[in-house]
Amino acid sequence: MGFSNRQEAEKTVVEVDESRLDASLATPFRDYIFDLIGQGQKNLVVDLSKVDFMDSSGLGAIVAALKQVGGDGAVELANPQKAVHDLFDLTCMDKIFTIHGSVSDALASPKKA
Amino acid sequence: MSAMESNNSVGQCLSLSINSKMEDTVLVAMAIRGVCAMTGLTMEDINRIELCVVEVVNNAIEHAYSGNSGSRVDVDVVVEPGNKLEIIVKDQGKSMPALGQVDEVQVPDPMNPDTWTTSGRGLPIVDQLMDDIRYESSDSGNAFHMVRQLG
Repeated sequence: MGFSNRQEAEKTVVEVDESRLDASLATPFRDYIFDLIGQGQKNLVVDLSKVDFMDSSGLGAIVAALKQVGGDGAVELANPQKAVHDLFDLTCMDKIFTIHGSVSDALASPKKA
Repeated sequence: MSAMESNNSVGQCLSLSINSKMEDTVLVAMAIRGVCAMTGLTMEDINRIELCVVEVVNNAIEHAYSGNSGSRVDVDVVVEPGNKLEIIVKDQGKSMPALGQVDEVQVPDPMNPDTWTTSGRGLPIVDQLMDDIRYESSDSGNAFHMVRQLG
């Protein structure tokens, strides 16, 4: 349970080891990511493979992360399950996030900054 | 005639109650998924109905009860097989303004971070995914109704 991170290919992979990224976890998740960004880790790949449900609060936390890195980095998403991908489509958030099919695809893509 | 009797006359009703805390919304979500699985809805539909219910229950906890636990959120699920599924989320807290015209989901502009809003998407999503929504407020509490047609 919880969140963890590792460095790989000059990016920080954030693994979400939770089945639901919802309102009860949105604030802890945002704080976790903001800490990483505060430590200078601004090229983030969020591994969503274990998340089978996300609500608008969970989504809001990921958007907050994107705003926090600003132009200095990137927040990319990897391997969202169907329901989570559907949420990004419904809210048109797929326009501002790069969504990769896997963490390895995300790591193979060029670093943004 | 009570609401329950009126519901029974047209379909089957399941009534749920949870403590007003975000961690408990999952209990309603799982129960609703179970009921939806009886109706012939697709997996995508079931995921979307779960999302709507979670958004409205969270909304009640956050706004009606200011995020405080210790109050009740009641959820009624009314199934009319082959016709419709209605979900009613009730609270006894502060009421919201009338729904009026719910804003459409705001499309973010990749070039303008000011449009990357971090909140306020819940009700627009519900409005987009449900066939009908309405919100009633009275002395006895608030009730958010969502209807999804079946069949």
